[in-house]
Amino acid sequence: MKKHLALALALLFLSCDHGLAPLPPIEPGFGGTIYFEKETWPPADSLVNLWVFASQIFPLDSEKVFQGLFSNPPAIYLYPAFDKNLPLFGDSVSYAFNLPPATYFYVGVLQRTANDINVRSLKVVGMYGTSDVPPIPIPVNVTDTGFLTGIDLRVNFRKPPPQPF
Amino acid sequence: MKKLITYCLGFALTSCLLHGQATFGTITGNLTDAENGQPVVGASVTLRGTFIGATTDAKGRFTLRRITPGTYTVAVSMLGYERLLLAGITLRAGESRTMEIPIRPVPLQADPVVITASRREQSLQEVPVSLATVTARAIADRNSVTLDDALRFVPGVSILSDQVNIRGSTGYSRGVGSRVLILLDGLPYITGDTGEINWETIPMFSVDRVEVVKGAGSALYGSSALGGVINVITKEIPSQSEFRFRLFSALYDKPRYSEWQWTTKPRFSSGIFAGYSGAAGPVSYLVNVARTVDESYRENDAYHRWSFFAKARYVLSSSQSLAVGVNYLDRSHGNFFWWKSLREPLRPADSQRDGLVNSKRGNISLAYQQFVTDKFFYTAKLIYFGNFWRDDSAGRVNNVSASHLVSTELQATYELSKPHILTFGIAANYDRVSASLFGQHPGFGAAVYAQDEISPAPGLKVTAGLRFDWQKVSVLSPTSQVNPKLGVVYMPDKETSIRASIGSGFRYPSIGELYIQSSVNVSQVAVLPNTDLRVEKSTSFEIGVSRKIAERMSIDVAVFNNDFRDLIEPSVEIKTYRPTPASPDEITGPVIQFENVTRARIQGLEAEIKTEWLRRILSTDIGYTYTWSRDLDANQVLKFRPRHLLYISGQCSWEHARLMADFRFLSRIERIDENLVRLAPIVNGDQRVAVKIVDLRTSYDLIQLGAPLRVGFTINNLLNYSYVELLGNLGPVRSYVLTLEGMF
Repeated sequence: MKKHLALALALLFLSCDHGLAPLPPIEPGFGGTIYFEKETWPPADSLVNLWVFASQIFPLDSEKVFQGLFSNPPAIYLYPAFDKNLPLFGDSVSYAFNLPPATYFYVGVLQRTANDINVRSLKVVGMYGTSDVPPIPIPVNVTDTGFLTGIDLRVNFRKPPPQPF
Repeated sequence: MKKLITYCLGFALTSCLLHGQATFGTITGNLTDAENGQPVVGASVTLRGTFIGATTDAKGRFTLRRITPGTYTVAVSMLGYERLLLAGITLRAGESRTMEIPIRPVPLQADPVVITASRREQSLQEVPVSLATVTARAIADRNSVTLDDALRFVPGVSILSDQVNIRGSTGYSRGVGSRVLILLDGLPYITGDTGEINWETIPMFSVDRVEVVKGAGSALYGSSALGGVINVITKEIPSQSEFRFRLFSALYDKPRYSEWQWTTKPRFSSGIFAGYSGAAGPVSYLVNVARTVDESYRENDAYHRWSFFAKARYVLSSSQSLAVGVNYLDRSHGNFFWWKSLREPLRPADSQRDGLVNSKRGNISLAYQQFVTDKFFYTAKLIYFGNFWRDDSAGRVNNVSASHLVSTELQATYELSKPHILTFGIAANYDRVSASLFGQHPGFGAAVYAQDEISPAPGLKVTAGLRFDWQKVSVLSPTSQVNPKLGVVYMPDKETSIRASIGSGFRYPSIGELYIQSSVNVSQVAVLPNTDLRVEKSTSFEIGVSRKIAERMSIDVAVFNNDFRDLIEPSVEIKTYRPTPASPDEITGPVIQFENVTRARIQGLEAEIKTEWLRRILSTDIGYTYTWSRDLDANQVLKFRPRHLLYISGQCSWEHARLMADFRFLSRIERIDENLVRLAPIVNGDQRVAVKIVDLRTSYDLIQLGAPLRVGFTINNLLNYSYVELLGNLGPVRSYVLTLEGMF
């Protein structure tokens, strides 16, 4: 009888690790997958940079773009970073964009086509928006309690969405 | 024409009734425990070679009616008691005989009567495949509201949410295209649209027992029996008027971690089951109604369910019987598909917060049986199974589906000589689906099968069977299958049974898998049709031995090898596709599509030890299954299969009180579909652990109060262990359940 009691207690002990537990606190932000339409990639020399952008300002003009990028704190954020690129020439890439809690009214993919920094060298090639024609941006609300997923972006370099500037 | 039919029916009924009153005899009796004199409730009492039978009521009484004069053998069986055969009972015309039958309890009865392995009644010891049974008592003890709950404790069986997996046969497809065939009283009970098992339509309060055959069974049962067969056998109608009920109320505890709590309100689950059975002349009937409501421990996962089950049996004569069954379910259920994240595992993903599924499902069945001679009888069965469901989100209808499945079968059993039994039959089915997801498609099928059992030497039984199936779905080309099986049982002594079997299985792809088309579904991933799907097939081989190794200890060990070809699994990939056939533009994105993806081999070992201790006060049952499953194409372990299953049950009985405990262990699933987690997406969907669950139950029979009432209290998931059975689905938190059942 003692043996069986010991066995029962051993089984209870086995179960005492409690299983799954909450994950540690997370950095706010959003993420998802960027899908690139096949055979629409431009030549490499026109891909100086490729970023995901998130802007608290919309609509934009050329002045607001640079104010938003270079103010402190900024109102427009770039992913992975100003001096880094998304992986190029693939069919899809996942991303996780950590940024301060706020409502980002304009989210998309930005191509820098030349070394010059001016609005003529920046081109929005994908946008998180509605399926209307033309599409309308969908705001992304980042809170301090969570990381939003499923913010998928579609890029067709030959059919970019309407340009904001 | 109507008048003619009415006249014929009226004439037949009247003549039967008048004829019966003049010539039939009756046997009534009481069945008591030979050791303590208590009535034995729920035992089966039958007249061999006839369809006359009854189950004992709350006072152990039974009545066998409409017996043609002659000499009979009365057979009495009840799990935990010796099997009695009382031969030479002679009854004259109009005679009423009363019998007092004491029956001795026996330790470790390892050979209950089963019917699924060979489509005929036989002792479990004579069965050439591994077979487990779940009794009505076990279902009531565990308060299993749906059948999948009751199967979680069968060795070799694991449940992935609502999908059953026998010895690793099934991966993850949210139930679609079940590789285990479920039968309701011997007839297929798979839905016509998605080919899945709908657990909720099984009338649990009316279940007598469930038989689980492990390994391919298509040589007898046709499509879907790749990994095994589950046969749900409903109760025989008691011979006396009887009212039964069961009430339960459950309270969910808080989740283990306060940050997981999503509501401050207590969450309850409750239900009432009530049934009445009686007899009027040659017709006996049983009616059960159930109402269950579960607020659930998760957000948008509550359900409300009404169910109704009725069964009537008309004993035309001692050699003829006609049974009619009706079963209906109306359910409304939140559409929790997977969690928001492991930070909020009790909330659904945002896209599923408003989802609701309404379904109405039901069946009507007919069964006619006749003993032509005492060596030859046949059964004709017909079942209609209708499934209607609709899923909504935020009041908007997303998808609707209606499927109609009619199956019919004619089976004959002929005992050529004592050890030589031939079983053969024909079967046909018609399926019609009309669904926004699957389109409109018909399906037809037909089959013929035969099985021969011989005994070439003392203690040796050989069974060989063959089945031919033909199937045509919609406009696709027809396909046919031939499935053989061979089984051998050798019983060198009364305590030992050695078995070996080889058999094959197959499954036609369901209409759902072939034709599903959804540009956006609840998981936000497009699903595309694939009409090129081929039949998936399996071959099962096993050797096993069952032996009583001590007065109160028995062991059953089996090794098995299952090979699968052309397995159909949902694959998730990035594809360029047209959202609808009429769409002018193609888009690129994640797509779910059913494909013949792999060859697989699953080998393993299963052992079960049953023991009784301390003069039967304590009993234990330990079952362990090891499965080594491999994807032979990818040379990797198969996805979604646990390698180790360990189930331990203990029961302590003292006079009218019982204390029971269950421990369930499933090792951590080694491989999942990473693409599904990434592309669906299921946030933290890769988070999983081994399953280790302890349940504790106690019950007390209030016989001293003069009524056969039983009150029970259960704590499920005693240690509030947090686990997932299915990606992104946290298992139930601890709950406290109070039950009351009675029979008058």
